[in-house]
Amino acid sequence: MAVSDPSVTSRFHFSREMIEGPIYRKYEKAIRKMWSVEQIDFSQDALDWERITPDQRTGLLGVTVRFLAGEQAVTDELVPMLAGAHRLRRFDWTMFLSTFLMEEAKHAEFFMRWHERVVGVLDPEEVAQHFLVRGKTVDPTGRFTVRDVMYEALPDYGGQLMEAIHSGTDVDVERAFVRFSAAYNAFVEGVLTMPSYEIVIDTTERWDAFPALNQGFRLILSDEGRHITFGTMACRILIEKDPSYEQCVHEVFDAYRGNVVGLVEYQKAVPDLDLDKYQNMKVRHYRNRCREMGIAPDETLIEQILDPTIDFVVGVEAG
Amino acid sequence: MAKRWTCVEAGCSWTVVTPDTESAVHAAQEHIAAVHGSFELEEMIEDVLEDVTEPLDSSR
Repeated sequence: MAVSDPSVTSRFHFSREMIEGPIYRKYEKAIRKMWSVEQIDFSQDALDWERITPDQRTGLLGVTVRFLAGEQAVTDELVPMLAGAHRLRRFDWTMFLSTFLMEEAKHAEFFMRWHERVVGVLDPEEVAQHFLVRGKTVDPTGRFTVRDVMYEALPDYGGQLMEAIHSGTDVDVERAFVRFSAAYNAFVEGVLTMPSYEIVIDTTERWDAFPALNQGFRLILSDEGRHITFGTMACRILIEKDPSYEQCVHEVFDAYRGNVVGLVEYQKAVPDLDLDKYQNMKVRHYRNRCREMGIAPDETLIEQILDPTIDFVVGVEAG
Repeated sequence: MAKRWTCVEAGCSWTVVTPDTESAVHAAQEHIAAVHGSFELEEMIEDVLEDVTEPLDSSR
């Protein structure tokens, strides 16, 4: 075979090794599993909305409106990861992230349509009235601080990643990528939000109502499984390259420790839910994320999540 | 190649060994639903499976 001009070969990114690799496999699966919001029938949910009590409406809307805002935020905050994949010359990551970004936009679309067709609200002024504005969360023991992960951590770590992309070395970019992915995929999507998805699914089944909401959450979760494990796999690849990056993951989890050890506000907003179930589940998800990243879990964090004396509710002023 | 999956729910360390990835996913999802009243996503099971050479269909 004739020797190719490197300036020409550099224009091509696919390789046999890449298309047989785990990230490309996730891209292929995302394409195979594509679904559309238009396929979902919201009519039964609209009827169910008419028959539930005002208290049930308030409780449910408090959760769904947070998801409506959250899905818009994660769609908006993903760009640094795409830019990072480009800078690190990982074309399979870029390909997968193209499906990731489209799916986050679709999740936002699902919640927009559910609120429009079931509740009859859509414009910012209409939905904002139902957003549970959080007072300052206080841990009565004073041991933990609760911070805003979605609107503070993601933009901050994303900003640091963009700065590294523009003016840092590859090592700076990799380190910033691990921090951003640990916050976005491992912490927010992979641990903190998982009980919330399950609480909504449990609630729709307990009430025997809202089949479209149940279906939408299940479809969204199947996408999230790929997103989360892409992020943790990317971290694993980078940590295997430089084990010192593991510390970046622990620093992120430590900075937002209070958010994960406290109870999720929905656990107390929806009556009759088994509170221990969701704390145990957080431990499972945290251990799994560490397992996927190839790092040792922080056992103190696990003990704190399971400690029954730590029962302040994230998002609600204690007392 | 046989696959091993271990549950890491708090207080649980149930392990299953199956002939392939598909049956490991099925066994893990069945365990999480029956024992913990919860669910585990396919990718999250697949990505932590371990390759094993010991006898199949063992669970403990």
